[in-house]
Amino acid sequence: MTVWSTAGRLAWLLVVGVSAAGAQTLPSEPIALAGGRVTISGDASASFGSDDPGFFNYTDYEHSAFRLLRIDLSAAVKVSPHFALLGEVRTENLGRIRPYALYLRIRPWTAREFDIQVGRVPPTFGAFARRTYASDNPLVGYPLAYQYLTTLRPDAFAANADELLRKRSLGWLLRYSVGDSNADRGVPLVSAFRWDTGVQVHGTKGIAGATASVTAGTVSNPLFADDNGGRQIAGRLELRPTGGLSGLVVGTSLARGPFLTQTAARAAVGDGDAGAFTQDAWGGDLEYSRDHYLLRLETVVSAWHLPIVQAPPLAQPLRAVSTSVEGRYRLRPGLYAAARYDHLGFSDVAGTSLAAPWDAPVSRVEAGAGYSIQRNLLLKVSYQHDSRDGGVLLRSAHMIAAQLVYWF
Amino acid sequence: MEDHSQRTQRKQRTQRGAAIAARFVLAFVSFVTFVSSVPGRVAAARPGAIRGRVELRRTATPVERRPGVADLGTPAGRDIPDVLRSVVYLESAPRGAFETSEGGHAVMDQRNETFVPHVLAITTGTTVDFPNSDKFYHNVFSLSKPRTFDLGRYAAGNTRPVRFDRPGIVRVFCDIHSHMSAFILVFSHPFFAMTDGEGRYRIENVPSGTYGVIAWNEGTSSEPKPATVPDGGVAELDFTLR
Repeated sequence: MTVWSTAGRLAWLLVVGVSAAGAQTLPSEPIALAGGRVTISGDASASFGSDDPGFFNYTDYEHSAFRLLRIDLSAAVKVSPHFALLGEVRTENLGRIRPYALYLRIRPWTAREFDIQVGRVPPTFGAFARRTYASDNPLVGYPLAYQYLTTLRPDAFAANADELLRKRSLGWLLRYSVGDSNADRGVPLVSAFRWDTGVQVHGTKGIAGATASVTAGTVSNPLFADDNGGRQIAGRLELRPTGGLSGLVVGTSLARGPFLTQTAARAAVGDGDAGAFTQDAWGGDLEYSRDHYLLRLETVVSAWHLPIVQAPPLAQPLRAVSTSVEGRYRLRPGLYAAARYDHLGFSDVAGTSLAAPWDAPVSRVEAGAGYSIQRNLLLKVSYQHDSRDGGVLLRSAHMIAAQLVYWF
Repeated sequence: MEDHSQRTQRKQRTQRGAAIAARFVLAFVSFVTFVSSVPGRVAAARPGAIRGRVELRRTATPVERRPGVADLGTPAGRDIPDVLRSVVYLESAPRGAFETSEGGHAVMDQRNETFVPHVLAITTGTTVDFPNSDKFYHNVFSLSKPRTFDLGRYAAGNTRPVRFDRPGIVRVFCDIHSHMSAFILVFSHPFFAMTDGEGRYRIENVPSGTYGVIAWNEGTSSEPKPATVPDGGVAELDFTLR
């Protein structure tokens, strides 16, 4: 059974199930147990849309964001005013249930807004990564920086610039001559579909919030277990002014960590320092909301340092820049319109006969609307146009999609 | 001839008077019958009251915050809404109760991520102000059939009004804070009362008669219970909500 037929049938089942059961009979609020010490909530979203032969909407888990049934269950256990255990499990297309998050939140001083989180923690970097739930995303598709699969892999890489240029646009499935020889997907600039493992501290004072973390993976390749002996350091500063600037949120993020696996680095440089082959990322984001509209702007710049094996060499570093602008306007109670423009560009590398961006630049325009059937049951429809400048796959695609979202 | 004529005129006047009297009596009887037939028999007399207590065997729990797994830290503290207040109201209002359609003003504040009060009972025509007393945005909205609205996002110190013209139960939420919810019960008559902290209520100015009375708490309501209000007196009626 194909992914499409699976997702489509499951989505249909969800729609019929919701209708038949009567939406009012489904829980509409988090389930509270033990006097509120344990809370459980859930999100379910079923997306069904056009075929995507250009693989524009493929995600980390080798699924298309346009053809996906996703179910999340989250829980928080408040052990004491100082300790809480939080976790989330997720399944896509009713496949394996995966732990998405599991961490201990420690508040050393109850009177201070300072927390330590240990385990598989929420992303420190960027703004969108923490609102990837379908109920938080006004459209069906994702921003390119968080979803589009580039041609870089942490466990394999191109021996030279010519090999890298030949792979342009093939991020959904590719193999390289150095490192793991199996075909696999590339990574997005920042993964919206996996969380990293480590320690995170967060504090708020007045209008400023600051977060720092040390984790096993990188922003493009979060890990449960370390694979290169290195640690990523990430930080984020966020300002939420009050008074006349209420509604404005400004954030900036930085991250640096070893990207290549120990095995892949060893294949290139022997027992050299795998920690030298890093992903560095910078992000800037801005949100402004007032009355019935909401505007968001986010830029992510990522630079990967990879080993030089052969001539013509890979330019150092390989850069990618993504910018997205998103807007939402509530037309009337329960109905909104939204749109997003995205561009993802790459730095040039010089091959033997071609100098070009190391992956094919992509632009995306998505526009859609959402209608609340009830407070926690939302139907979204989207139109998306993608265009790719180069590569061997389909260069342009017009797609439509619908998504039903339920949460409690 | 004159005597006969006078007698005839007297007889005709008498018959006309009897007819008028008969019509008057018929009209009076009809009026009394009509008044008696409407719910809650109205008599032009001194109003009374209905009082009693609502016992909650099933205490509703306030809506909890979602686990917030994606949050970078512990969310700020919030007030817990008072879910113990109930509303007691007449199922059918006495005749003439609908004449006062000009409602006044009421306030539902947004304070510490809680709507205050959590339950508001008003008459149709009332305008409810929704001030934001928090430092951050709220976005009050409702998708309830009697009144849908979306006030958008507005900052501390600002307020926005909503007028309620149709009777019914309106659930109010915040689009930004999913644990914030409240109820507004809109009545087409003034015969309702909120319970106090101990569950006691008193509905004032009820014309004497027999009424069906209902108690409501957090979306659960009792079956109508009969209460007979004596002329200028007080009817006692207790409820137990399970």
